[in-house]
Amino acid sequence: MLRYVAYRSIVAIFLVWVVVTLVFLLLHLVPGDPAELLLSQGATAADPQAVANLRERLGLNDPLWLQYAHHIGGILTGDLGTSFRDGASVAGQIVQRLPRTLEVIITAALIAVAAGVPAGTLAAIRAGGWVDNVISFLSSLALSTPVFVVGSVVILVFAQELRIVPAGGYVAFAVDPLRHLMLLLLPAGTVALALWAVIARMSRASVLDVLERDHVRTARAKGLSRRRILTRHVVRNAMIPVLTVLGLEMGTLIGGTVLVEFVFNWPGLSGYLVSAVDARDYPEVVGIVMVISILFVFLNLVVDVVYAVLDPRISLAR
Amino acid sequence: MTLTPLVEAEGLSRNFPLRSGFFGAHRDVFAVRDVSLSVDKGEAVGVVGESGCGKSTLGRMMLGLERPTAGAIRFDGRDLSGVSGSKRRALARRMQMVFQDPFGSLDPRRSVGAQIADGLRVHRIVPGSKIDAEVARLIDLVGLQRNAAGRRPHEFSGGQRQRIAVARALATRPDFIVADEPVSALDVSIQAQVVNLLADLRRDLGLAMLFIAHDLHVVRHLSTRAVVMYLGRIVEEGPADRVFGAPAHPYTRALMAATPSISAGRAKDRDVLSGEMPSPADPPSGCSFRTRCPLASAECAAAVPELAPYEPGWKVRCIKAGPSDEAGARP
Amino acid sequence: MRKLVLPVSIIAVILALVLLAPVLPLADVRAMDIPHRFAGPSMQHWLGQDEFGRDVLTRLIFGARASLSIAIGSALAAAVIGAALGLLGGYFRGLVEILTVRAAEVILCLPPLLLALLVVTILGAGFWPLILALTILYTPNYARIVYAATLQVRGLDYVTAQRALGTHPLKIVLRTLLPNVLPPLLVQISLVIASAIVIESGLSFLGLGVVPPTPSWGLMIRAARGAMEQAPMLLVWPSLALAGTILTFNLLCDRLQSVLDPRAVPAGGAIWLRRRKPAASPPRAVLAGEDPVNRRAVAGTPPAAGPGDLLAIDGLTIALRRAGGIGSGMELVRDVAISVRPGETLAIVGESGSGKTLTSLALTGLLPDVLEVTAGSAVYVARDGRRLDLLAEDEDGHRRLRGDEISMVFQDANAALNPVQRIGEQLSEVIRAHRPAGAAEAGREAVDLLRRVGIPDPDRRARAYPHELSGGQRQRAMIAIAVANRPKLLLADEPTTALDPTIQAQILALLSDLRRDSPEMGVVFVTHNLAVVAEIADRVAVMYAGELVEEGPVAEIFARPRHPYTAALIGSVPEGGAERLVAIPGTVPPPGKMPPGCRFAPRCDHAEKVCRQASPPEFRPQPDRRTRCLRFEEVT
Repeated sequence: MLRYVAYRSIVAIFLVWVVVTLVFLLLHLVPGDPAELLLSQGATAADPQAVANLRERLGLNDPLWLQYAHHIGGILTGDLGTSFRDGASVAGQIVQRLPRTLEVIITAALIAVAAGVPAGTLAAIRAGGWVDNVISFLSSLALSTPVFVVGSVVILVFAQELRIVPAGGYVAFAVDPLRHLMLLLLPAGTVALALWAVIARMSRASVLDVLERDHVRTARAKGLSRRRILTRHVVRNAMIPVLTVLGLEMGTLIGGTVLVEFVFNWPGLSGYLVSAVDARDYPEVVGIVMVISILFVFLNLVVDVVYAVLDPRISLAR
Repeated sequence: MTLTPLVEAEGLSRNFPLRSGFFGAHRDVFAVRDVSLSVDKGEAVGVVGESGCGKSTLGRMMLGLERPTAGAIRFDGRDLSGVSGSKRRALARRMQMVFQDPFGSLDPRRSVGAQIADGLRVHRIVPGSKIDAEVARLIDLVGLQRNAAGRRPHEFSGGQRQRIAVARALATRPDFIVADEPVSALDVSIQAQVVNLLADLRRDLGLAMLFIAHDLHVVRHLSTRAVVMYLGRIVEEGPADRVFGAPAHPYTRALMAATPSISAGRAKDRDVLSGEMPSPADPPSGCSFRTRCPLASAECAAAVPELAPYEPGWKVRCIKAGPSDEAGARP
Repeated sequence: MRKLVLPVSIIAVILALVLLAPVLPLADVRAMDIPHRFAGPSMQHWLGQDEFGRDVLTRLIFGARASLSIAIGSALAAAVIGAALGLLGGYFRGLVEILTVRAAEVILCLPPLLLALLVVTILGAGFWPLILALTILYTPNYARIVYAATLQVRGLDYVTAQRALGTHPLKIVLRTLLPNVLPPLLVQISLVIASAIVIESGLSFLGLGVVPPTPSWGLMIRAARGAMEQAPMLLVWPSLALAGTILTFNLLCDRLQSVLDPRAVPAGGAIWLRRRKPAASPPRAVLAGEDPVNRRAVAGTPPAAGPGDLLAIDGLTIALRRAGGIGSGMELVRDVAISVRPGETLAIVGESGSGKTLTSLALTGLLPDVLEVTAGSAVYVARDGRRLDLLAEDEDGHRRLRGDEISMVFQDANAALNPVQRIGEQLSEVIRAHRPAGAAEAGREAVDLLRRVGIPDPDRRARAYPHELSGGQRQRAMIAIAVANRPKLLLADEPTTALDPTIQAQILALLSDLRRDSPEMGVVFVTHNLAVVAEIADRVAVMYAGELVEEGPVAEIFARPRHPYTAALIGSVPEGGAERLVAIPGTVPPPGKMPPGCRFAPRCDHAEKVCRQASPPEFRPQPDRRTRCLRFEEVT
């Protein structure tokens, strides 16, 4: 088990390197002068002086290997460069905003799993019945509505029309814990909805699949109670593919968080990212994308480790 | 015996790299180890052994479907490793394969006739206008109804599919057929149909055949020469009725004792071989069978025994080769 | 295929609207009308006007144009590239795989929305950058799925057969692999279109996608958010359009999946999970002569049950459930009568489709949900002396017996053991389900049982998972579970079929030992292997096409079969020096196409006209033998 975790960690570090390199290469893979590209606005050519300045600023005049070394060195020392717009340290902004984004992601994942697994299991046990139909309907609806639509409609209905909840914002936990949680619940719940649907559907399919397996027949042939068969032999086994899906959905979850933070004015990384992209502030975008991607890799690492706990067959292979 | 055998394998080995853990040592696992075997024109050689003994890998290598790690295969005097590309594919006409699983061996999306015709087209066995007639002839040859050509594989039962697979293999008019467990997925009564069909075709068309099976009775029935494999090596090779009549290797004897027989009647307390086949990743030193062998002694661990001549045309890989377990050596 | 009609027709309507938008009598998509900003629905403007007074309906339809062309365009482009990479990587493996699939997968290291944002930062927002970003984004998805499907198909024998035929590799990829990986590819395309719409609209919503004034649903929602107080409906329309379109593509994906991979889900879920059997359980049609009301009474003194029998099955009939559907009511097992005495081993032998396994499953109430017992009784004498009709027990009644008095050994121990539970726990839970034993006590007993079935180092093995055991050891563990509570009746369904000869011999020897240890235990041994029957059974029942055709002591039946099917089966075993084997012509008739009269008649050498007219009655050539053949005297 420990060896497996060590192995997966090494793979994760390798993936981080891949991500960092990929982000670096992306700018250089595009044909044409990167600085000119970054400054171009449709058909109008960029001002040559501005291009020259930008080249200097980004160190584009250095040989490629030196740029790459600077890039990697910066990441290792935690220096992600400075913003084009105000010259502020990118790393500083990220450190301040990252915990708030993490809060939303983790809360959303917990809500989605806690609500999705029972819903899916119930639907599978009552497959074809009305419970199943209701859950299927709700999940396809949730799955088909993009998060920013859900968020906007939530604000429209609950904040604008019914005036039950605030339309978003942020209060530090230390200042007002209750209000903080309430404001957290809006974006987290919204992000959780789509993930809930995915987990509920996967749980349903997986439980149905496991119910057909031979070992469940063995469990019945042993004369075990329904409850024991369900908990020990069906749901536990069914969770393994659900976890795989959870891992695959991490990217969607992060993307959803970016959108939802924007919708609810939650001051996480998202607002920073959007304004950076809008201003085409390259150092800022690269810094944020890299941090989130590294986060993504480590979330997947957590999923992998939980996976190995659930499925003893995994840690042996490789 | 003709002077040059049709297919000849020499010192054939196949290993798979195995890495234990991320930092673990890199090791080779031998699926087949140092196998030399020849098949003459029109001869039926049967290979028996339990799962993991390497018999299927051997069969695929003999057809050139898998590359040996060491050793060479000569087909009609030509070394298979020396030819590649289109020349190699042209040579494929003369050797064909029949598979175990009648459900996996046919493409579910194409008609039976089209699949049989593949070989005819690839190698231009008959002119395009005569393909339909040739397909009909082949379908007839394996005892299926004429209208089978237009139908999809799922409309046929396991035994019928196996006949279709045989027809497909025969389409290129091969000299050599490898049949890998062709009847083990079939029901008893259907098994007999296919066994009879293979025996008839071999006799009528003069095919050389490598017949791989785990069922001793089937191999004994179909082959003239028998090869017994254990853990990647040939342990005994000789005329089928003699190898199975009075086996000289203790493993062959154990295999025969373990195979239930309809005529033996109620099992007495016969000797059941203890233990299981060791992992090919960690084979015992010396004779690989010694961990389970009733005759094993200290000298068996010393070195891998040679596949030594026992009687004319009969070779055994055992230093205590003999007609029974009681006698330590051959009288 | 009918399932696809709904989503496909909705998509057709949407596409028609989008394609015909320029020629439809719609308002000008960019014409502003500031005085009428936020005006409600009117005759000219069915859905009202937006913050610049533009027609909302027109902008909705033109917005679909942008969204759909970006989504479908990038989904198809990515599909072509990804499928090519996946096919090549999956077929050729090795270096090609690294250059195609693995290279594409690098992209998956980045969360999708972020990758799109990165591309937009570098190239600027707009139509083509979006298509490029989404194509890059989805290519690895396709590559992965096609790669996995290719690997699966590639290992199948029909691909190897093509190689053996000498077919050119590219031809194999295009003609044999591509059609077979198409189904998952189609499903993926519909999924990716939906997902691409989400990302495109999300980017536009952030103001980083489609550039205004080009209409787009994401932009419309973005604009409407600012005007939520004046005109809330402006938010609703594009939201509905967006969700509806995505829903349709998701629906298409689901339907495609179920059409391409149909798997019947029993209505109402697995039946055994329900607390009670449905109250409206139809009264079983009982074979002629029996009165359904008196079933219990009849069961008390069943006609075939001798006084010494442990189990007496009579008239067992199993059919597909009658709840409508194809082939409903079709009988898979018909009128089977067998009895087992204490200490006796009865072999049920037959080919696939003979109903031998169903017969044993019916005794423990483990029949698949689509099947049910429609007639018959199985009187079993329990430990406490009660006589129970096993076929009339409900799930709870069966549960008390299963694993305790009546236990089962299945064919494929690898599948029959729970892969993620330790062997020891799988054993102790069957002990604790039927006896008041503490965890520690049951654990000790589990180790003892493992030792008893000949598993070396049982202490360590009890802590192992099934995959850590060899095939033979798994089957031993399965047997340990079955005998844990010293059953009176052991039902073994092909317990040695998947094993190698030397391991099979070990398991058969183990079963003999266990029988010697428990002389009162009755064993029903289901197998297709006549030689195994000869080794292990006292009596044998031969089944063919759902019917019992012959029954009697093993030695006598093998020496002198009294049914032509039994005789042919024995003759088809390649033992002895016969030049040709006895092959039974033809195949077993499928259920539902049973011939009238004797079911074996069409394949029988001895069949006469009478054989084909009525089902033959049972004959008793000797007191302890039965056969269902009119001409049994001429068979041997």
